[in-house]
Amino acid sequence: MSEHYGVTMGASVMQRGRRLVLLAWPLAAGLAWAAPDPQELLRASDAIRNPGRPFSVRVTLTDFEGGKQVDSSSLTSWARAQEDSGQFASLIRFTLPARDAGKLILRNGDDLWFYDPGTKASVRLSPQQRLMGQASNGDVVTVNLARDYQASLLAEEDVLDGERRSRKAYKLGLKAGNAAATYANVELWVDAENSRPLKGRFFAESGRLLKTVYYRRFEQQLGRERPTETVIIDGLNPKAVTLMRYSDFATPTIPQNWFHRDHLPRFQPD
Amino acid sequence: MNFPKLAIGLAAAACCATAAAQSSDSEGDALGLVSAPDAPAAATPAPFKLMLEAAAGVADRRSTGGTAGVRRLSVDLYRAGRLAPGWRYVVSDRIDHVRPADGGLPDTVNSLREAYVGWDAGDGASSLEFGRINLRQGTGYGYNPTDFFRDGSLRTVTSLNPFSQRENRLGVVMLRGQRTWAGSSVALAFAPKLADSRSSDGTSLDLGATNNRDRWLLSASRQISERVNAQALLYKETGQGVQLGASATALIGTATVAHAEWAHGRQSSLADMAGGSSGGEKAGHRYAFGLTYTTAGKLSVTGELQGNDFALADAGWAAAGGAAQRGAYLLTAEQRQDLASRRAALVYLTQKDLLGVRNLLLSAFVRFNTIDHSRLHWAELRYQWPSIDMAVQWQRSSGGALDQWGLMPDRQVVQAVATYHFR
Repeated sequence: MSEHYGVTMGASVMQRGRRLVLLAWPLAAGLAWAAPDPQELLRASDAIRNPGRPFSVRVTLTDFEGGKQVDSSSLTSWARAQEDSGQFASLIRFTLPARDAGKLILRNGDDLWFYDPGTKASVRLSPQQRLMGQASNGDVVTVNLARDYQASLLAEEDVLDGERRSRKAYKLGLKAGNAAATYANVELWVDAENSRPLKGRFFAESGRLLKTVYYRRFEQQLGRERPTETVIIDGLNPKAVTLMRYSDFATPTIPQNWFHRDHLPRFQPD
Repeated sequence: MNFPKLAIGLAAAACCATAAAQSSDSEGDALGLVSAPDAPAAATPAPFKLMLEAAAGVADRRSTGGTAGVRRLSVDLYRAGRLAPGWRYVVSDRIDHVRPADGGLPDTVNSLREAYVGWDAGDGASSLEFGRINLRQGTGYGYNPTDFFRDGSLRTVTSLNPFSQRENRLGVVMLRGQRTWAGSSVALAFAPKLADSRSSDGTSLDLGATNNRDRWLLSASRQISERVNAQALLYKETGQGVQLGASATALIGTATVAHAEWAHGRQSSLADMAGGSSGGEKAGHRYAFGLTYTTAGKLSVTGELQGNDFALADAGWAAAGGAAQRGAYLLTAEQRQDLASRRAALVYLTQKDLLGVRNLLLSAFVRFNTIDHSRLHWAELRYQWPSIDMAVQWQRSSGGALDQWGLMPDRQVVQAVATYHFR
């Protein structure tokens, strides 16, 4: 799909260029100078989703099937950018449903662990296992996309945002730049006015659409306006929708040693 | 363009437009959904779990040839929290009422699994813990040679699923210190002798099961890379030499996790322990290694090979005597949570959202004794509502009359299990 947009844009620019090259040369030069750097756009969009310091947030997840609520759960996430990779490591503790209360998921790149205080067992997970659970939805929220993906500008277009309003947006094509990237390709629409992430489509290596995500309900949190809800639509079954609502943003002390599997049995935040 | 081509073109355009509209419509519908209210703040702090479980079923008795009813009622409590800045606690207790009762125990048995306090240094990297702690080591699914505090830890066996057994086991009273860094940790634990032998009193703390000798454990773990994690252990107990242990996990590709676990030391054989003779000590290995593969369809399959040089092999098994001697041998292995066969294998699978039904979970495993070729099969179909689980469990053991799994008192057990999780 990204190649398709690339060809269309290229042909269009060439045709216009032949007609206007002389008359509009100064204007064209000005536009070229003003064209946004896609990687910078991605960084700016990342900075809106991710506070620039360690933070915690409470997340309420509501699952819908065909418009009907079928499940809900809640968790608290503690996240911190890693000094070596710059990528976020996160520790998730489930609070609801009751059967899952206290269970933990640790993610530090490909180092993924599930800890159950009942069995005292730390079980290593593969990225595929993680994709099966709700924790994977965190990938579309607390992730530093600019670290793992190479962005290109695919189009400037109007897109419907999460509040169902039409917004002028840059459509970025993200290609996984390293093995740590969860998704092979991402299409991300970034608000042309303020770099807010509006919508994302996340693809597997096979090209299969895994999920479509809308970022919405921007509110002032930890120093700037950030999305406080995401709508996640399953790629295979668009009737399966998860709403993730974020509340109680905070910036507690989150030591680096929390992100080690041997810390999980004694994890007890204040 | 002639008419048929035009018709086909219009139809195709209409089809594409319809598909696009449907996609757009479904996204539009999704954007109209409203989130559930935020979880109440009271649900966020310290984990508290209270669970009530009832089970009833029928056992096909191998010994008597008939069938018998089996019933169980369990209450399970787990609570963790902060006592003061830097201080935390964990209490975990379980009461099982089982009919008919496990051999030698009353119908109702209380298991105080954990009760300890912990102190964390200001930076959270150093900690001291004291009390009854369920300290579990190892990466294996069905057998954990480096889980040195496993023996004597199981008071009642409510399921043969290895994961359930870990949930029910008793901790060991110990003093433990740990230091963690960004990618590594070191821990030292000392568990003193507090009693001589096991208790058959249902209300006992049963310190004789978990603290009947002095024990030391030093462990160090290291994240070698994002994909490889390893742990090394040194274990010493009164009257025995030092045992070495090591375990590791590795991520292979995006869907496969490999695990390996190994321990080495000098010990008496399981048969000598069962017979009450000290016998001669010999050096030997214990190990478990395997792979877990997960499909995009939410199916996880684990295969594991297991070995224990202190268990009976072909010749020893053949000469192990009659059913009574073999029963005593198997009971010793069970109490020590050790592998009864020199070689064994496990296949374990879980399927989430079975047949596309959300919250329907299938778990199943087969244990193979590769020496006498007997097998244990276990399967569970579980449906989960927000606070209630309903499950049907099936268990069948097969093998010759003197084989490991052929000696189990129940040939087959089918039971329904209902679980209520309090909020």
